[in-house]
Amino acid sequence: MSDVYQKLEKIVSKEFISNDLYVRHAYSRNVNPVLKGVPDIVIRPNDAKEISEILKIANEENLSVIPRGGGCCEWGGSIPDGDTGILLDMKRMNNIINLDQDNLIVTTEAGISWGALNEYLSQFGLYTGSLGPGSGLTASIGGGLSHHSVGAGGCAKYGACTNQLVSLEVVLPTGDIIETGSQANKFSKFPFNRFGNGPDLAGLFCGDNGIYGVKTRVSLKVFPRPPFAAYKTFLLPRKDVEVASQIMMDIRRKGIDIYDTIYIPQVIVATSAPLGLFPMWDHLKKKRGILFYTIEANSDIELTERVKQLDEIFLSKKTEVLGPEISDGNFAKWQYENPWHLYHNLWGIVPASEPFTAECFTPINMLPDLFRDTEAWEAENRENMNQISNITGNITILSGSGPIALVDGNNVEYTVGFNTSRSYYDGKNYKIIDDLNLKLWKSLLIRMFKHGVQYYMFGTLPSSLMVEIGAYSVEYYNLLKSIKETIDPNFILSRGKFNLKGDGIHD
Amino acid sequence: MTELENLKKEWEAIFSCMGCGECGFAINPMVGIDLTCPVKEALGERAFEIYFSRGRMSVLKSILEGSIPLSKKLAEYIYQCTECGNCKETCHQSDENVVLNVSKWIDHCKVWNALRKDLIEAGFAPLERHATLIEWMSNIHMKNPYGEEQLKKFEWISAFPNIKEKSDLIFFGGCTMPLRQEKTLKNMMKILQVAGIEFAITKDEWCCGSIGLRIGENVEDIIRHNVDLIEKMGAKTVFTACAGCYRTLKKDYPELLGEELPFEVKHITEVLIELLNNNQIPFQHEEGEKLKVTYHDPCHLGRHMDLYEIPREVIMKIPGIQLIEMKRNRNHAWCCGAGGGVKSQFPELAVEISKERLKEAVKAGANLLTTSCPFCIGNLNDAYNEMGPEIKEKIRLLDIIDLIASKL
Repeated sequence: MSDVYQKLEKIVSKEFISNDLYVRHAYSRNVNPVLKGVPDIVIRPNDAKEISEILKIANEENLSVIPRGGGCCEWGGSIPDGDTGILLDMKRMNNIINLDQDNLIVTTEAGISWGALNEYLSQFGLYTGSLGPGSGLTASIGGGLSHHSVGAGGCAKYGACTNQLVSLEVVLPTGDIIETGSQANKFSKFPFNRFGNGPDLAGLFCGDNGIYGVKTRVSLKVFPRPPFAAYKTFLLPRKDVEVASQIMMDIRRKGIDIYDTIYIPQVIVATSAPLGLFPMWDHLKKKRGILFYTIEANSDIELTERVKQLDEIFLSKKTEVLGPEISDGNFAKWQYENPWHLYHNLWGIVPASEPFTAECFTPINMLPDLFRDTEAWEAENRENMNQISNITGNITILSGSGPIALVDGNNVEYTVGFNTSRSYYDGKNYKIIDDLNLKLWKSLLIRMFKHGVQYYMFGTLPSSLMVEIGAYSVEYYNLLKSIKETIDPNFILSRGKFNLKGDGIHD
Repeated sequence: MTELENLKKEWEAIFSCMGCGECGFAINPMVGIDLTCPVKEALGERAFEIYFSRGRMSVLKSILEGSIPLSKKLAEYIYQCTECGNCKETCHQSDENVVLNVSKWIDHCKVWNALRKDLIEAGFAPLERHATLIEWMSNIHMKNPYGEEQLKKFEWISAFPNIKEKSDLIFFGGCTMPLRQEKTLKNMMKILQVAGIEFAITKDEWCCGSIGLRIGENVEDIIRHNVDLIEKMGAKTVFTACAGCYRTLKKDYPELLGEELPFEVKHITEVLIELLNNNQIPFQHEEGEKLKVTYHDPCHLGRHMDLYEIPREVIMKIPGIQLIEMKRNRNHAWCCGAGGGVKSQFPELAVEISKERLKEAVKAGANLLTTSCPFCIGNLNDAYNEMGPEIKEKIRLLDIIDLIASKL
């Protein structure tokens, strides 16, 4: 056993540290089919103090450290960049510390899942508003904040989960522990507000993809769950993407406080039918795009009025309302009652397949252009896609978007990518599949970057690629890097992301 | 056989796992899910991801890709799994309206079983205590996993001279009930006799092979022996009071033989519901406050065989009883912890898991926890005996058979 292992073991005790081969490989992947990184050591810390001590040793020994919450992210978000370093499994830190019912703020350890926190809050008639990432309610609060996540429900009304943030306890890469927001004032008795006491330093850690610190304790605003809700699903006419965009913009223009509006593009509705993904839409003669809304209210009268306003918007665009039951095709009802698998059923649509995808924010009015360009990209890259299909015999690779959610502001979450096969196929490793997949994926990402979209769940691959192609301005990137150098002089935390140790920035 | 032959057959399942982690962390009260893996939860804060499905799938991907080998160490992790199938249920949250196609490709228990077979093929398993069970099951004087003399399994029959040697209806006694819960077996006889049911039994019956199959052993000789024996007795229907035997006879036997069995297999609750529906079980008249009873779904009956409602129908027909549900029931029921060879190899872990189930039953407000599996009852009882008055003063345990017999 190495000296460093012994030092780390003394911090957390032997039950919570492992360098066992199988334990390490159990943490070597997240939700993407190609990137893999096997940590040298896995640690399950108990609190900020332990993490602080671990980070100090990592600095002394020049060891990389990667925090991992629910492990539901993509593209190297919660695995080491290469086979190296320490992985911090944050899921042991899952206690709810306090629910301040007077001020509607919950304080919790960062490793708790969105599902567990919301189940707890439901006992008090409360919820977190935005229910976290679309990757599922198993994702951790810390991970959601690190990615500005949206997608599990409520993001049209409440926006990204970072909007709910009140204060953070963060262990900086040097091992220093800080608190943000109202808690920056050491005389503050309890967390009550994010802003004030100087700049919004909490914002530094929101969407940082784990490069600036390890989130250990989080205070979030919570909200009373309105007792009334309505949900309707509509079949869109031709030019579904244009119509969906128009409807979303109309909703915003009229200021309707909608809970969710999600658009399922025609390509999904049409191609999913033979794959058996949405039997509720089998009866539709025209397999066009779907758009649904969910609205919450505090009274029946309020709900009725809002439904009327929304129906007017939807029906004025020649949409066709589907029946009220899930079996009638009312996906909105399914999603509100089971906010869980909205995205999951696009994984594994044929055996051992996965989409190469990532989510980005874009203004609503850019959606039609993005769609058209994604189609153009597919046509340009058809030859490479067919090479993969020819090896595996799987279905034709298609690009496009998964569900597109209205988020805060006049923006949507665009989930662009393509479905493909993994490199392990029927007993053989096909390296060429990995190579082709990565080539295609990088090319699609670059195409999207150049439309000016905002990716947020970056991981190592998209963040570094964005740097490599010079998408950041030199000044912006230099500031990003200077902050990193100041608080993480040895670049130990989340190495590989944003290419911070390389010279990837080009003027 | 080449190394990894069984795992390679499961490659589609293994590489269809996207790694979302719901098999470890899912909590969704709207669909009755409150965590998933009994082993992970029993290990508590010590549970690295190797102890539940996602981490194991990740390791299996590495093994199939050729990055890491099988080993004894891996076997020690892998056998800490009850094969309860709750990971599969959580992964497969499909319904008739929205389908997760991975539910068509991933059968988690099949993957774990393939790995166990390969670990045995490679010489890294069975683990020590499992090896002893296998040895006892193969011993011509025993043919049971308890290390008892074969004849001991049939001592209870002497109290029932009317049991036939040949009949359309055969009772397959299994090992656990006759060797460890004879009283329940005698209560079953009491019920069936009062209902006027006649059946046959054979003293040549061997252990059904369930434990061997779960460990990953080849038990073809056992299967062939039992099937031939039952066929020779002229059986049209075989019934058993053991959930493990039921799953093994009804599901594993035809799958492994590659042919349909020449007889029907029923669980005792399926026999009992027919008798109750025909008013063949005369209960005593009862008045007063009803006993609050909750039902624990044995994994081998529920998740593995989809038999959820019949045991509940049986319970609801017993007078003086109010059936209440635990928070986790039916396809998301919490496992008792005994299955998959955990009880024999890791008895403390098995008992820890059962403690959680007992607490859940008390929390539901039940005065009595009942189930229909001798293995579950045995393990729940072991946990019960270790627990304090906060459990023992609030709840009792009984097999459904004993519950019915107590009301005759």
